[in-house]
Amino acid sequence: MENINFGIDLGTTNSGIGKFQEGKVTIFKNPVGFKDTLPSVIAYRNNRILVGDKAREMTTVNPDHVFSSFKRKMGSAHLYHIPDISETKTAIDFSALILKELLGFIAEEKPSAAVITIPASFDTIQSNATKLAGHAAGIEEVLLLQEPIAACLAYANAQNIAIDELKNWLVYDFGGGTFDVALVSIDNRELKVIDHEGNNFLGGLDIDHLMLEKLLCPALEKELQEENLWKQMVNGENTTYNKLFFELLYRAEEAKKELSIKEEAFVEIEIDGRYIELLITRKEFNQLIHTKVDETIKLTKHLLEKNNIRNSQVDRIILVGGTTYIPYIRTALSQVFETHVDATIDPTTAIILGASYYAGTKNKQNTVVKDTLPAALKNVKLAYEVNSKDNEELLTGFVDHEFSGYYRIIRTDGGFDSGIIAFHSKFSEFLKLVPKTTNIFNLKILDKYHTVVYENAHIGINHGIYNISGQPLPNDICLEVDDTLGTTYLEQVFRKGDILPLNKKLYKTISKTVLKESGEKLIINIVEGKAETSPASNLCIGYLEIDSADLPSNLLKGTDIEIDFDISESRDLTVNIYIGAITLEINQVFNATAKQVSAVKIKQELEKVLTEIENIDNYDFETGDLPRLELLRIEVIELLKVLIDVEGDLLTDKIYNIDERKRKAFQTYDHLVRRKNVVSEIEAYQAHKDEIRAELLLKPNPKIEHAFNNITRNEIKFLNSNQTSIIKSKTRELQKIANEIYYQNDDSYIELFYYYASMPLSDYTDEGQVKRLINSGKKAIDKNNFAELKAIITSLYHLLKMKPKNFFEDKNGTLGLK
Amino acid sequence: MKDIITQIFEIENKIRPDEFLSFKRNFQRIYHELEQEGYTVINPIGQLYDERDVAIEANLSNEHNKALTITKVLKPIIYRSEAGNRTLIQKAVVIVG
Repeated sequence: MENINFGIDLGTTNSGIGKFQEGKVTIFKNPVGFKDTLPSVIAYRNNRILVGDKAREMTTVNPDHVFSSFKRKMGSAHLYHIPDISETKTAIDFSALILKELLGFIAEEKPSAAVITIPASFDTIQSNATKLAGHAAGIEEVLLLQEPIAACLAYANAQNIAIDELKNWLVYDFGGGTFDVALVSIDNRELKVIDHEGNNFLGGLDIDHLMLEKLLCPALEKELQEENLWKQMVNGENTTYNKLFFELLYRAEEAKKELSIKEEAFVEIEIDGRYIELLITRKEFNQLIHTKVDETIKLTKHLLEKNNIRNSQVDRIILVGGTTYIPYIRTALSQVFETHVDATIDPTTAIILGASYYAGTKNKQNTVVKDTLPAALKNVKLAYEVNSKDNEELLTGFVDHEFSGYYRIIRTDGGFDSGIIAFHSKFSEFLKLVPKTTNIFNLKILDKYHTVVYENAHIGINHGIYNISGQPLPNDICLEVDDTLGTTYLEQVFRKGDILPLNKKLYKTISKTVLKESGEKLIINIVEGKAETSPASNLCIGYLEIDSADLPSNLLKGTDIEIDFDISESRDLTVNIYIGAITLEINQVFNATAKQVSAVKIKQELEKVLTEIENIDNYDFETGDLPRLELLRIEVIELLKVLIDVEGDLLTDKIYNIDERKRKAFQTYDHLVRRKNVVSEIEAYQAHKDEIRAELLLKPNPKIEHAFNNITRNEIKFLNSNQTSIIKSKTRELQKIANEIYYQNDDSYIELFYYYASMPLSDYTDEGQVKRLINSGKKAIDKNNFAELKAIITSLYHLLKMKPKNFFEDKNGTLGLK
Repeated sequence: MKDIITQIFEIENKIRPDEFLSFKRNFQRIYHELEQEGYTVINPIGQLYDERDVAIEANLSNEHNKALTITKVLKPIIYRSEAGNRTLIQKAVVIVG
């Protein structure tokens, strides 16, 4: 038989839901804001029903429309009047809304049975009212559990405490707005609430207010030369001080949290551009809250006295509620009651945890599926723009058959929630968009009983990625950059299809040192074409050489460079280059009418590709491709020749003709050679990856595994980039890891030692010492003394006249930026 | 990480407007780098208060005038993107009025 598994804390201030599965409890997070708990508050505003955080926000400004702490009215005939819609609601109605909201935290299955917690003070009528609220929320089977019992279960299960004899536990529950203490008897068979005490108007918020009134306001009064600041803040007459009240409340709450882990906390407040810093020590804070804590201690003492329980008979005090994070409360309890204060689990979710543990042990009674499942809505038609440049986009929904119910739209990143809104056959909502990204929304349509009858979780609206008016770019716009292997590749700045005008800033690094007197150049080459091809096969639309003589000072490798690209609707390309380290700023406008061609650069590109073609292994090519490869070689040589002819020719447009021919030649090269190179690079990458994976399987190493996962994380993207440079650099990173794995094994140092020992003695500066070191090394190997062997290898390395090159060292760039 | 971002945000807000220009590039760069690491930071200052904007925790001080504007931001909104999924990791804390 199936177990209930779901546990719900239906609290006065906050609520939450969890599930017992595979021996542990998962606490579900609110998809709106991702907190573990939901404020038990309902508000009505602008025809919307708001539940949780946003509802609580309305408390101060619109109290008539906000309903909280309705749990206190459970089981009473009290009716809540909702002003705008002239309806009345009961505490059961509101509790059902909270429960439904909690059920919405669960993405997949909706529970048909759940354990709901109730205060130890609830009588039969109040308990039955809670059950009714559960049923109204669609939970067919509701099992009730007293909150102190749930807390005990949470602590006992989470720590696996064995209880062989009868013990008394005190459940000290100090929340945001209420205080409860319960005496529970516990043995290996039974948990029972013996008695309880409490104060419904004592909680963490009182402590925050006390901090404002007694600590922050007096300090600020001196700074602002004001009197009765606290009174001015709370009487609501002065708007400025009203705002200050909320800022101080936030700062006080932050300071309270900080004081739970530190001895002192700074509170910084900005008033009219002035920053006022106040220091609060834990000692001051403890003195301040002393009276409030004393009130709770008095209630606890009274509870023990009336049940004739001595302090020594209390086995432990367990803590529930966020206020119990305060260290002073823990020490005060331990000193007064001379017993163990258990704070091992999160006090804010302890009740949910306990309720879920309990649910995990209880069988469902009614496993029969409800006969009348709500009819799913069909023919829901939605209208909205998929691409938008506005901050909000309109979504309209049409539902057939005169449907009346509610809708609710949530953005899946947790930043937007329309609330629950009533509608009749048609609805419209402006959806707020996060800029420059895709926004996914989830739409739910609910019937009049608030049961979901339609859901669409895939409403995607792109903001700013595509504009809805303007011309699209016909090709990619790319920047040529150096890789770490001494070659270059194209980095996409704008994608084909992006709509003009466009702007983007790239942050790059200088890849070679350019000394002021060296005559070297820093080259910015912007091309139009395809990002995955050779830079030289694309059309150059912006070419800029920054001569070393024009630099204000030496430009060092590793310096940051900012490049801001701007393409107007009329296709003017403006590039702004800024190098902060040498305060160099260049603003260059390129327009499409004058082609940018550099003879020097064309020559370099042709020479490079010629060497590559001449070094190609013919066996790698199909017979049909070989004559084409030869024709390409001849064309490159021909182009190099004509390039010499045009030297100094500033009048004719021969150079543009050469550039055109060069691009064609490179397109052929890409087709014949580059594609093949990409495939073999991917193969090399995969081989290294498999090798490392096998090694990690044999010898797990979390550090290396972490580095390995980092390299392979965006694998799909870079393996599909068609860029040999990018794939090669990833392969090299893998090789670095393989090298690290290799040297984890002591035996690999034997191999390294013999590598050094086999080098000619003339390669070393001191032959005699090298001979002695080699002898000592052999002995160290015989004795398996690897520490000594490593030291010998280091000494041999230092004696080498020419140090071996580091294979992994980055090569200097040719253009100057990467 | 969100605490570090909030500190950066606080430093940014402490700079006097007339001095801000010399820091502008540095902050742009910091936010760019954060974005590369998957963190999007949004400052909602000046936006109209909207009860549907659950990425914002507002302290409303009055509702006499219809258009409520965010006048002070104590913490910015932070989203974290991982494997194509964006999640709210910090709500903004703001003063409205």
